[in-house]
Amino acid sequence: MKNLRFLFALWKANLQAAMEFRAAFFTQIIFMILNNAGFFVFWILYFDKFENVRGWTVNDMMLLFGIAATAWGAAAYFFGNFTTLGEVIAQGRLDYYLSLPKPVLLHVLASRSIGSGMGDVLYGFASFVLSGYFTWDGVLRYVLGVVAGVCIFISFLTIIQSLSFWIGNTVALSQVALSALLTFSLYPSALFNTTTKFILLTIIPAALVGNVPAEFVRSFTWTSLLQMAAGALVFLILAVIMFKSGLRRYESGSSIQVEV
Amino acid sequence: MKKYLAIVQMQVINNIAYPGDFIGRSISIGIFLFIFAGLWKTTFTIAGTDVINGLTLANMLWYLMMAETIELGRPRINRVISEQVKNGEVAYILSKPYNFLLYHFSFGLGDSLMRIGMNILVGVGVTWLLAGPPPSLLGWLMALTTMVGAWVLHFCMMALIGLTAFVVEETNSFELIYQKAVFILGGMLLPLDMFPVWLQGIARALPFPYMMYAPARLFVKPEVDLFWQMLAGQWIWVAVLVFALAMAYRSGEKVLTVNGG
Amino acid sequence: MTSISVHQLQKTFQTKRKAAGLAASARALFKPEYSTVEAVRGISFRMEEGELLGFIGPNGAGKSTTIKMLTGILHPTNGVASVLGFTPWKERQKLAFHIGTVFGQRPQLWYHLPAIDTFMLFGKIYELDDREIKKRVDFLSEAFEIQDLLETPVRKLSLGQRMRCEVAASLLHRPKLLLLDEPSIGLDVVAKQHIRDAIRRMNQEEGVGVLLTSHDAGDLEALCKRVIIVNHGQIVYEDKVSNLKRKHLTTKMVEVRYAEQVPADFKLDGVEVLKVGRYGVKLRFDTNETPVDSVMSHLSSIGDLVDITISDPPLEEVIAKVYKEAPTA
Repeated sequence: MKNLRFLFALWKANLQAAMEFRAAFFTQIIFMILNNAGFFVFWILYFDKFENVRGWTVNDMMLLFGIAATAWGAAAYFFGNFTTLGEVIAQGRLDYYLSLPKPVLLHVLASRSIGSGMGDVLYGFASFVLSGYFTWDGVLRYVLGVVAGVCIFISFLTIIQSLSFWIGNTVALSQVALSALLTFSLYPSALFNTTTKFILLTIIPAALVGNVPAEFVRSFTWTSLLQMAAGALVFLILAVIMFKSGLRRYESGSSIQVEV
Repeated sequence: MKKYLAIVQMQVINNIAYPGDFIGRSISIGIFLFIFAGLWKTTFTIAGTDVINGLTLANMLWYLMMAETIELGRPRINRVISEQVKNGEVAYILSKPYNFLLYHFSFGLGDSLMRIGMNILVGVGVTWLLAGPPPSLLGWLMALTTMVGAWVLHFCMMALIGLTAFVVEETNSFELIYQKAVFILGGMLLPLDMFPVWLQGIARALPFPYMMYAPARLFVKPEVDLFWQMLAGQWIWVAVLVFALAMAYRSGEKVLTVNGG
Repeated sequence: MTSISVHQLQKTFQTKRKAAGLAASARALFKPEYSTVEAVRGISFRMEEGELLGFIGPNGAGKSTTIKMLTGILHPTNGVASVLGFTPWKERQKLAFHIGTVFGQRPQLWYHLPAIDTFMLFGKIYELDDREIKKRVDFLSEAFEIQDLLETPVRKLSLGQRMRCEVAASLLHRPKLLLLDEPSIGLDVVAKQHIRDAIRRMNQEEGVGVLLTSHDAGDLEALCKRVIIVNHGQIVYEDKVSNLKRKHLTTKMVEVRYAEQVPADFKLDGVEVLKVGRYGVKLRFDTNETPVDSVMSHLSSIGDLVDITISDPPLEEVIAKVYKEAPTA
């Protein structure tokens, strides 16, 4: 529908802006790929030594890493403002979006693009391809998993940064939240005890970004599908509610500094 | 000499004034140690032994704590330096009565001192909870001694990366790659003891283990021979990198005086 | 046809009062103290379709707040408003299709992109099809004289050039109403002139109504037919610009030059002498108190007039006078 065309127009504008500094853009992508590969060497060494950990091998690790990296990269590249939403709110920059006839949250989120995210997307996909799970239905499940991951990343950060409508500065808080979510998503839940596993499915939904989709690709189960879908949906709804509620507060003028 | 001490002092005070940053980093350490505690507990359980390559589970966690402390305490002066080069500020600094590199050394030191101190406090707290009491006094002594050399090596590398701003647009990418080199070849994520032999050889030929592995390893299993070996290696590399740094700086200066900033 | 109708619009802000110091901050957390700011205290006015209306007032008068309420960005505490038939804060998105806004201090154009790229994006935002956009861009770039600037990244344009592109962008979708909030801030005289001419032309050719807020009286003089002056959140004056000048200030300034030297103690009854030079005098008088006729005959009787300049006071003075004379609640 029309909003989709609008979204594509925004993505096009972001790409055009990136092309103004082509060399930097491509450098960022390449270095991000190298960066991720460099980190993964750890897992290669680890699994070289320990081969199989609770049913996980280096291939499963590549799958997990691939899914999480792609989800993060896609969120960062296509909806780059999801990490800086708090600043947009606190600096009163929402006025610009409010004066235009498009859904505010969508417009804000897609108005920025983190170039290196494309590096993560490419690396993530390559990692998935090399993981051995690259089959027709594997790809389908991979895509579903990534979509769920993208929703979770964006929703989680939106919820936290919407607090800016009430408390102003959330930079430190959102950095910690993002770091926690991203870091935990790169490790299999099998490493943790039950309480932690539960936390990683709910309060810090890192498992929904990494582990659950990975298991889903390894073998289709209705449980994984349900967890991913429900998790993504719940967080999305919460995010929209939080943002809309904060926006109402913003529009009534009681949130931030007043420019009379 | 005094002016540099003053800079160190100023940065230490600066860091005390901003506790928010500290909380963020404490959480980072907490998360990292928590995850790796999970990883190694699982690993040891599955391997079915108490000791892997001479290290116990407790050893592993204290090793990681020290490694993470050093990583978070790394002077991030490459960003400051590349900024100064890019916006031309470096030309003005050259006209000031202090040495550019020594200035950044003091700046970085002041910045790191506070952070390392805080990281150790938090790290000790968290790791004690996860793995029991910390290593012996000898371990602490050896670790802290070799931490000095490690820090200096990090400084040299960071400064070199910062100076590449004379030649390249984006230097932050280099920092990322350097960080990964330290993560892997420096033994931050996996101690060299667990590497396949051929990789150990390669790693030892590079400066990275001296920046990370040395203090962390000596911390958990203090061995006198290893200590002197590491110490010697460290300061040899310090000499090499300081020389490289001086050369890089000299050519940077030339670029400035030729192009006028 | 009325395009804007506002009745008793009010906006009161509650801002948390925070004193300095740790103890005060702690107190503020548990028992917050609020101070009330009455930004807009009951404003009522109408604007006709295609009108050029100025909204002038000093900083803190409530101009920006009013504009925000009219665009639906802010919800009023009280009062009623209708813009192009929509209640702004209830039908914000629908209204957005029919109005254009330019906030002088908040740019709409993407910084790193050439203006044409932002124009194309705006075309998609306003759901115009590609042909429409192209035609529109051609027309607007001619009207605003920005044809050569379209392909240059906005960051490389001067402020004046950028503002012209900004205003052009706000007109892409043929809005019926254009709201300009401090559009000439930071611009030099030539750039200001440029923008004012272009806006006037758009108003004449397309009938776009223009509501302009500014604290630059020059904008008012050049652009508006009618003006509303606000201060302290209330309307203190509302009339045609020409009337404003005529009724409110009856002062004239006269500069004369004589063939012979002027006596140093030059004086004239009922006239304020501003400056006495060797051959010339500059003076000011109120036509209500001293008739023009007597002043002129006096001046010509003193010597041979070589040159004479008679001018109205600058609009700033007029407005300042209105502020001073206005009742403050």
